[in-house]
Amino acid sequence: MIEVSGLTKQYGARTVVDDVSFTLEPGTVTGFLGPNGAGKTTTMRMMTGLVPATAGSASFDGRAYPGLPNPGAVVGTLLDASAVHPGRTGRTHLRLLASVVGVPAARVEEVLGMVGLTAAAGRRIGGYSLGMRQRLGIAGALLADPPVLVFDEPANGLDPEGIRWMRDLLRGHAARGGTVLLSSHLLGEVESTVDRLLVIGAGRVVADGPVGDLLGGDGAAVRATDPAALARALETAGFHVQHGSDGALVAPGAEPGQVGAVAAAAGLVLTDLRPVRRGIEDLFFQLTAAT
Amino acid sequence: MATVLPADLPARGAPPAASPPGARPPVRSGAPSVATLVGVEIRKSLSTRSGRSLAAAATLLAPAATALIASASTEELGSVTGPIGVMGMLTGLVLVALGVLSTAGEWSHRTVQTTYLLVPRRGRVLAAKAAAVGLLGAVLAAVSAALVTGALALLAGDVSWDGTGRALGVVVAAGAVFALVGTGFGAALANTPAALTSFYLVVLGVLPLVRTFKPEVGSRLDPAEAVLTLAQGGTPTQSLLVLAGWLGVSLAAGAVVTRRRAVA
Repeated sequence: MIEVSGLTKQYGARTVVDDVSFTLEPGTVTGFLGPNGAGKTTTMRMMTGLVPATAGSASFDGRAYPGLPNPGAVVGTLLDASAVHPGRTGRTHLRLLASVVGVPAARVEEVLGMVGLTAAAGRRIGGYSLGMRQRLGIAGALLADPPVLVFDEPANGLDPEGIRWMRDLLRGHAARGGTVLLSSHLLGEVESTVDRLLVIGAGRVVADGPVGDLLGGDGAAVRATDPAALARALETAGFHVQHGSDGALVAPGAEPGQVGAVAAAAGLVLTDLRPVRRGIEDLFFQLTAAT
Repeated sequence: MATVLPADLPARGAPPAASPPGARPPVRSGAPSVATLVGVEIRKSLSTRSGRSLAAAATLLAPAATALIASASTEELGSVTGPIGVMGMLTGLVLVALGVLSTAGEWSHRTVQTTYLLVPRRGRVLAAKAAAVGLLGAVLAAVSAALVTGALALLAGDVSWDGTGRALGVVVAAGAVFALVGTGFGAALANTPAALTSFYLVVLGVLPLVRTFKPEVGSRLDPAEAVLTLAQGGTPTQSLLVLAGWLGVSLAAGAVVTRRRAVA
């Protein structure tokens, strides 16, 4: 179990991470979400001892990261995929890591195969694309098959196929009892991967809960051949109606089925009807406006 | 109620590419030994083109220069200890760059991040780097000095070979010392161009100037002059102090920065 308690980072008078606390349970994938500059990376760097914390602590099964005898065997970390020497080949890079972590050299070929870099392993990393560097970083994190994975923006540079592959990897890891923390500034990248969202803004945790609770259905968007009549019918039925900028009507809090029923009862023709899900941007602005 | 699977049950539904094949790989439970870390640091130094080029330059530059000068010069050399000392100093100046790359290079390429994630005890990393670079420096300097001596034997004609053993010992030690000073400089400045520029500016620019106006001050600071004096059999005390000072100050500064610097 990972426990982060009151982590705070100040640079002079500027507080970039402000009293961040959370707990990560085995078997879960937690999405660490927030806009760029919200403090996600600094929090992850403090958790792993790369940046000294001004206050607070982080522990992995009761031990601070720098106190772990062989941290690579416990936590697989990918913070910055471009932090590799461009002059080494992918295979040489991983073999060096394998020696430090203490896994046999044969394991390097296994992880290369897992991330689909076997063919490129003999080439210098300088010629890799960002997506390939992400895969190489993930391969390095998986060398010891550690129970905990901490990935910072791993979807950066991955194509849709790569993002799906990573989702399967992380879901599979959690299904085997592993603990995963991955950060992103885009909800779409992690929405279907994570069980739980930890939303951070301006250095503070602004929301922490299951994805469904935070981003549940938030209304219905509807288009009709006679929008004015539909708006009247919906208001008569007790729904609040907003006029979207693109001509669609939005009924906050309404299920699409309820809107369809109102339209059918009034004999109106619908041209489009779909649920409106609250985006992370909306959620984020709403949460930060409230504090 | 959801079915709770035992934590160690492999995910059957996951695609093969996303799930590690078989059981967990055998992983060493404790921290890497010092020998492992030293070995890794040697491999790091020699696994990049810049590292290999510097190793080749450290080995071959001095013998090539010796062959060129010995075959072109008509002056009598007198003793071989002078040329061996000068060439050892040249090798040492190349080896400084090898030391700088081992520490500052990690900051410049941001690979410190992975290094410290796997070995959070930074003092151990710096110690391993120092051992690896010192060893590399001594070995490369020894090979270079052997080739220089061979070139002198073939080309120098009638010279005195008195004190050759001591001169060779001094340049091998100087190879280790210069490489270690580079390691300390690199760790202290955490930036390859800055560390290289400042070292060469001080040793090749500032100190020769100081020597011109205040020779006695220059000889109390100049590591290159200390190596020459030692190789030619001069009184060792001051020269050893100069070299020890460079070693101590650069490594101590490197250790302080290594311990404190945030990896951003």
